[in-house]
Amino acid sequence: MRAIAGWLRRRAENVAAAMLAVMFAAFIIQIVFRYFFNFPIGWTSELTVIMWLWLVLWGAAFVLKENEEIRFDLLSGAAGRRTRIAMGIVAGAAIVILYGISLPATYDYVTFMKVEKSSYLKIRMDWLFSIYLIFAIAVIARYLWLLAHFLRGKEPGEADPTRAGSGL
Amino acid sequence: MSLASPFGLAVLAIVALSLFGLPIGHAMIGGSVLYLALKGLDMGTAAEQLLNGMYTSYVLLAIPLFILAAEFMNSGSIMDRLLRFCNALVGRFRGGLAQVNVVQSIIFASMSGSALADAAGSGKLMQTLMTKDGKYTASFAAALTAASSVIGPIIPPSIPLVLYALVSDTSIGFLFLAGVVPGLLIGAVQMGLIAATARRRNFPVEAPVPLRELPRVTWEALPALLMPVILLGCLYSGVTTPTEAAATAALYALLASALIYRSIGWGDVYKSLVTSARITMSIGMLIAGALVFNYVITVENIPRTLAALLKAHELSPLGFLLLANLLLLVLGCFLEGTTILLVIVPVLLPTAAALGVDPVHFGVVAVVNIMIGLITPPYGLLLFMMVRIADVPLKDLVREVMPFLAVMIGALALITFVPDLVLFLPRLMGYRG
Repeated sequence: MRAIAGWLRRRAENVAAAMLAVMFAAFIIQIVFRYFFNFPIGWTSELTVIMWLWLVLWGAAFVLKENEEIRFDLLSGAAGRRTRIAMGIVAGAAIVILYGISLPATYDYVTFMKVEKSSYLKIRMDWLFSIYLIFAIAVIARYLWLLAHFLRGKEPGEADPTRAGSGL
Repeated sequence: MSLASPFGLAVLAIVALSLFGLPIGHAMIGGSVLYLALKGLDMGTAAEQLLNGMYTSYVLLAIPLFILAAEFMNSGSIMDRLLRFCNALVGRFRGGLAQVNVVQSIIFASMSGSALADAAGSGKLMQTLMTKDGKYTASFAAALTAASSVIGPIIPPSIPLVLYALVSDTSIGFLFLAGVVPGLLIGAVQMGLIAATARRRNFPVEAPVPLRELPRVTWEALPALLMPVILLGCLYSGVTTPTEAAATAALYALLASALIYRSIGWGDVYKSLVTSARITMSIGMLIAGALVFNYVITVENIPRTLAALLKAHELSPLGFLLLANLLLLVLGCFLEGTTILLVIVPVLLPTAAALGVDPVHFGVVAVVNIMIGLITPPYGLLLFMMVRIADVPLKDLVREVMPFLAVMIGALALITFVPDLVLFLPRLMGYRG
């Protein structure tokens, strides 16, 4: 089970790296075409924005661990183990409920967007925005899993500040 | 705006969930959903705001690209050459290596937009160099690296200034120019502090590099030194947009490391992509959460209410800046900088505009302030990072960082009260403000 999860996470990471590489390459193509061939193209900027949106939500859903995300862990870090687990249960339950109750309306919004297409690549917007649904369901599943751990009195790993994700 | 109102409850939920250790991005999305639910509004609005906000914020794409550029540089040997160059310049003075640390940060700042990238890139190397043979104490070396890394995002390019450009609708080009003098000023006060204490603390002098070696050392560092020239050249000649300039910088860093220095291979490129992607995701999630929550703040009309309130008290622009500085410094002790920039600063912006505070000046003041927050205890990301890299106790690090904090707050005051320091360069390039 753990091995499969680890394998999937590494593949998710491959996908994320590929998305960033595509974004980078699209920018270079765009600059080359505009300034060397004097031929502005629009699809590259659309592609870069799509990659940005997907990279962030895909990553938040499948790649990042909780302790890599930007968090305020001063209080939870100072608390005792039992308190920290209790905090984790409250926070996890809240996130499952809040993402859960907004899921139907979110589904309606995303499917409603089928009426629109992106300007250059002509991709249906409900497909482009479907990453949010994937993200929301993954977040709910992840926090249910974390809740199950917390309820059995286990807690996930500690944060590593040298891998702090803030871009500051 | 009572605590029992939907907005009050939403804020309470966000604060509580964040304190309980939930990622702040999720806490903001969750709190906003709670607000929509309590107000009886369409809960799909959270997704709508997030998706449209991310999809239309083209300027944000500069962030992953600047991160990528810094990663490419860190994984090659550019940093070593840069350090040798800095050592040849300032190593001969008392406290030479400490001065090298600051000069290296100033130069690296003109290639990277992130303080954490600077500390991660040069931190380990500087720590080893400075503590070898007991030259400096480990805690002083770590404190200095933390303090000098702060210069990174003040001198352009700068990730926080890109974020500020997003929330304030201000030109990135002018913001970047406005950061140059404040960044150099902070470097100068740090070097001044080192020079002033060098004799008393008996800091060592490095073996002077003969001046005839200088051309060779410079030549070897040249491709790295050219990077800011290329980057700023792209930006200010108008050849590329800021986002494209970031892509150009990343490409240049990649080519310089791969072809000129021959110091990175495919494996390193992949590693740089993964690291950059991870940083992008986590900062992106925070941006996503802020986009949703800022919608709630706008619906509630908070910024305008605050502006009207402060205007009614006839606050002077300087009085406002002073208050804003105090608020941001205090918040910076407890909150993560990106959160302050994306949530608190937008609330203050309409007041700044109503009082006639220049938005570019305000942006630089806010960013310098937030960067100082990275080294203020108890919550300072750079402190945490250096504790891990240098393996020193937090309390020793905090004690050594205090003098730096003091001179940097002095520099912040100067930047706040003399707007011309900030605005002189942008005006020279045509900024009307």
